[in-house]
This record gives sequence, structure tokens and C-alpha cells, in this order.
Amino acid sequence: MSPLSREYKFPFHLIVHPFKGYWDLKYERSSKTNLIVSFAILILMVITNVLQSQYNGFVVNLSDPDDMNSIMEIVYVVVPVLFWCVANWSLTTLMDGEGRFEEIFVSTCYALTPIVIVNLPWVLLSNVISLQEASFYYFSGNLASLWFVFLLFVGNMTVHQFTPVKTVWTILLTIVTMAFMAFLCLLFFSLIQQIANFVYTISQEISLRS
Amino acid sequence: MSKSMLKVKTCILVALCGMIGVGACGSAVYADESGGSYNYSARGNPVASPSAYQATTLWTGEKLGVGAFKEPSDLHVTSDRRIYVLDSGNNRIVAMDDRFKPIGTIDSFDRDGQADRFNNPQGLFVTDNGHVYVADTGNKRIVHLDPDGKLAQIVDSPKSESLPADFQFKPVRIVVDKAQRMYVMATGVYDGFMEFSADGAFTSFIGANKVQFSPAERFWKMLSTKAQKSQMVMFIPTEFTNLDIDDQGFIYATNGQGYEDVKKLNARGNDILRREGYFPPGGDWWTSSYDGYPRLTDIDVTDSDIYSLLDVKRGRILTYNGDGYLMYVFGELGNQLGEFDTPSAFDRVGDDFLVLDKALGELTVFETTEYGRTLNEAVRSYYRGDEEQADRLYEKATRMNANLDFAYSGIGKAKLRQGEYAEAMDYFERSLDQKNYSKAFVLYRKQVLRDHFTEIAGVLFALALSLYLWRRYRKAKGGKNIVAAQQRV
Repeated sequence: MSPLSREYKFPFHLIVHPFKGYWDLKYERSSKTNLIVSFAILILMVITNVLQSQYNGFVVNLSDPDDMNSIMEIVYVVVPVLFWCVANWSLTTLMDGEGRFEEIFVSTCYALTPIVIVNLPWVLLSNVISLQEASFYYFSGNLASLWFVFLLFVGNMTVHQFTPVKTVWTILLTIVTMAFMAFLCLLFFSLIQQIANFVYTISQEISLRS
Repeated sequence: MSKSMLKVKTCILVALCGMIGVGACGSAVYADESGGSYNYSARGNPVASPSAYQATTLWTGEKLGVGAFKEPSDLHVTSDRRIYVLDSGNNRIVAMDDRFKPIGTIDSFDRDGQADRFNNPQGLFVTDNGHVYVADTGNKRIVHLDPDGKLAQIVDSPKSESLPADFQFKPVRIVVDKAQRMYVMATGVYDGFMEFSADGAFTSFIGANKVQFSPAERFWKMLSTKAQKSQMVMFIPTEFTNLDIDDQGFIYATNGQGYEDVKKLNARGNDILRREGYFPPGGDWWTSSYDGYPRLTDIDVTDSDIYSLLDVKRGRILTYNGDGYLMYVFGELGNQLGEFDTPSAFDRVGDDFLVLDKALGELTVFETTEYGRTLNEAVRSYYRGDEEQADRLYEKATRMNANLDFAYSGIGKAKLRQGEYAEAMDYFERSLDQKNYSKAFVLYRKQVLRDHFTEIAGVLFALALSLYLWRRYRKAKGGKNIVAAQQRV
């Protein structure tokens, strides 16, 4: 088999054999191909979200097509992933984690695989189901989310070589850190806005007085 | 100046809403000559709508020939279209026929040989056989007069174990059901409406609003000591602001608690109002803290479960159908015809509305437009079960107002019954009716599968066959490769 076909098969292998898969991901495989595949999964995740809000069947989709914005869909996927990675990396460097930033990013992206492979077929299938059958849709969606959380957990544990208990603590602390980072970002942007406003007012005053 | 600015702003807002509506639905809004009104789309956005009602005449006491009204506070129209205005400031009741010709004034009645008068009465109810009930607030009593204006009974100082010893009975609104039971809204009563039997004895309270704690309040209450608790604000249920009764004896009530502002009470006092609409029935859905939240002060229920509410904050009258969909809105605060200063009460004369203004002592008559008539009739036909006519009228209404999203659900139901499932699905999707969409879809799916069974089965069979052949081919080829590999070794 060609190397390319093995690349696209590896995420499928990883999500069903997470312990061995993440080990291989960290120690056996080239980091360049890992990164390429990670970005591919991230892009697929964005595409899935866009398709879901645009083409999901009416019985499971009440989102207003007028409010749909593909740019924002990208932001909704990429920003939380980046926040997670930065928060996790900042924490684990202090907590003796072995993972590098790149490894954290790769493991997070690979963990997204179940969400993509469950939700993508549902874009088509949700158009041919009734309201009663929609419970299958929600059930599989929840299942994919749980799977994702489990993979994130295993990935984090393997990447940093933590004990399970320490991983749980790290994950909880990472979420707190993400909230903290969001707060800092808001603060930063609000300050920038005020400074910009201040400079604008000064310049206007000068131009009006002179 | 600021008034005209406001007018301009309103126009711009309506125009913007119209643009949103056009943008959202991709279809033109029918422009009525009488100027625009608005409604809310299925997604809760304000959209333009033609006016359903138009102010036609303005009556004052002088114009009616009965002398100026002074702070009139209530209005009642009987089923035989006689109009009764409670002229509180002048302590009298003015009766008119449906052409606004005065047919009598009641300002005093004979009580044990002496003339007795009202004192600042606030509430009025007239039964269909002409019995007049007055909530005589200043005299702390209810006066019941027979059709000839003679005193039938007086209800005052109710006695009961459930009432405190120093209870002050201050009735402000009253309705009477078919069995002459009286339901009274009194100030300072938080346990709901007071129910009196036909002979004037107090029986019970009905339909109290529930007290709601926020978790934070509950938490603080848990932490505080008994002494602190006694100093805290008491959590008491909200008072009702008005009530009306329908033909079946259900009481429709408004209150100012900010959620479930409208209630339909059954005989046990349970709220059975249907809230199936795009937003729960109440004042305007879009409000701003700048304008203030709606304050509902009157409710009127007519046939077919259609009921209207008066929002005194904005001078709006909003009408809902029995399912809780907003049918139409009209009225606003201002100085022109069809605008109010302090609307205090309203009622329907047939399908026309009469709105009483307390501060100006005026009575405004609103008559239906073509659009309003169509919509009223459509809702009524649907309520009666005459679905073919309802479908036709709903279609007509949507031609006049493409933004009338709930009507599409009505059309969809008719299409569903006629077996046009695909079309029904389209209509249900427009009105965001997932339940009925799913119903239509299941039937549509069944139909498609049945009609194209041979094709579908054929394609499936061909797929299975080709998959099987491909596998055999792969196996044969793979086998050869293995053989070749072994040979190479």
C-alpha cells in the first residue's frame, strides 16, 4: 500500500485503538505528516459545521440561514482548539508534562475525528428522517462528543505521560485557564478600543482647533 | 418637534422591518393604503404587516350628548351590542346602542327608599340579560342592578376564615359567569380572584399567581437568620391587572409579573392557556429597557378563543388566537386619531374595537380592514373545523401579507389532508412547524418509496451484485499477487 493511503487510514485506526494510536503518534510517526493530517481534520471539522448549519434536515435544524456566516463557523472551530492548546501547553509546562505544543495540537485535532465522521453522514441522512427518528441523530451526536472527550483524555495522558488522575486535573485546570484567557482577551480588546478612541478624539480635537 | 421625530423614527423602523421581512422571505410585502403595522416572524424578528384595524371615529361625552366623561375607567359591550361606559369621575354609567345613541344613564339607585350613589367605581360588567354589576371601589362594595336599574343586591365586607379580620374589600374589576357567580379582582389581594356565589357569599380564591424565587434569593434566604428574614422583602405573588370571561366560563387574566403575563384559568384555577406560538402571549416581543417593558392592563376575549391585550405602556392592542399566535397589532401613543394618551379599557363590538382613554375621556372606534376581516374569518373557520374555508382565507391573507408565518402552517395542514405532501412540507418549513413537517415528510417518504419501489429495489440489487463481483475480482487478483510474491521469494 502507498504511504498516502496509510495516512488517511491512521486517524481511523487511532480512534478505535487510542492508547496504542497516541503512542505511535508521539513516538513513531513523522511530525510533519502528523501536522498535515491534523490540519486536514481541522478543515474537515469546519466544513462539517458549515454543512450542518446549511444542509441539515429541517427536523433537526432550526438555524436561521440569514444568520449563518462561514467565517464565524471557522472561528467557532479554530479559536476553541487554539485556546485549548495554548492553555494546556501553558499548564503542562509547569506541571512537568512531556508534550510539546505541536504534539498537543496534533493530539487534539486527532481527537476531533469521531465528531467529523459521525456528523458528516448525518448531513445527508438528517434530510430523510422524521421527528421520531431524530433521536438517533441526537444520540449519535452525543456519542461522538463523549468519544471525543475520551480521546482528548487519552491523548493528553499519552502526550504528557501523566497518570489518569493527573490528566483529569490538568483537563479541568485547562478549562479554567481557557476562561481566564477569554477574560484577558476581552480586557485587552476593550482597552485597545478605548485607546483607539482616545487617540481618535485627540486627533479630532487637534484638527478642529487648528 | 420631538413627537414628529418619533413619528419619523417609527416610520423608519417600520420601513427597516419591512426590508428585513423582504430580505428574509424574498417576497414583497403587501402595502396597505392605511399605513403599516407589524408582526413578528417565525424566528421572532419584527416584520412589516398591513394594518388589520383602522381608527374611524372618535367619540367624546359631549359628542355623544351625555356631557364630558371624567376619567372613565371601564367599558363593557354585551352580546346584543349595547355599550356601557363606566364614567368613574362622574360616578355614573352611560349606556349606548351600537350606533352610539345614548339609551340611558345610571347615576343613582334606590336602596331601601333612599337614593344611593356610586363612589369612584372602577369595574363594570353587564350580563347578556342586562344585569349590571359595578365594582364600587370607593364604597368598598359590589352593586348588582337588574335590567330596569333597580337594586338587586349589594355585596360588601365578605366574611371568611381565609380572610384577615381587618380585611378591606376594594373591588376594582368584576366578571360574572353564566351561573351568576362573581369573580372579583380586588386591590391588596394576592391570593388570586375572589369568587362569590350568586347570592353574594364569598366562596374562595381562585388562580393565584405563583411566587418564583431565583436561586440567588433562595441562597441568601438560607443563610440569613430569623431576625434578618423578617427584615427582608416578603415574596408575595403578583396581583392580577385585569380579567375577562369567555362563553365557556374560562377566565382570561393579565398580570404584571413579567412571564406568563396572560393566563386562562379553568374552574379549578389552573392555567390552561395554550402557548404554541412563536413567542409566549403577552406584550410586544421586542422590548427595550429604554421604552420599558409592557404593562398589560386589559384583556378581552371573543369567540373562537381569540383574545386581545392592552399594553398601556405603548398604547398597543395585541390580538392572539387560541394557539397563542399573534394575529395583529394596532394602536400607539400620540395625539392623532387612533392614538391614545392613557388607554384604560377596550372591548369588541362585533369585530370592531372600542378603546377608552382615561385621561382624554375619549372613545376611539377601530374598524377592520380587508386584511383584518380575512384573518379573523380564517382563524374562526379553522376553529370551527371548516378547514377548506380556513385554507382559502389563509391563502388570501398571505397574499396580502407574505410575512404571516403562522398562516402557512394552516395552509400546510390543508395541503396535507389533500395529499399534496411535498407542498405541505414547504409550507410547514416556512412556518417553522417541525411537528407537522415531520408528519408530512413521513407520508411523502412512504409515497416516494411505494411509487419507485422497482427502481429502488433494482438499484440496490445492482449495487449488491457489483460489490460481490468486485470482491471476487479483488480476491482473485490478490491471490495471484500473493502467488507472485511467494514465487519471487
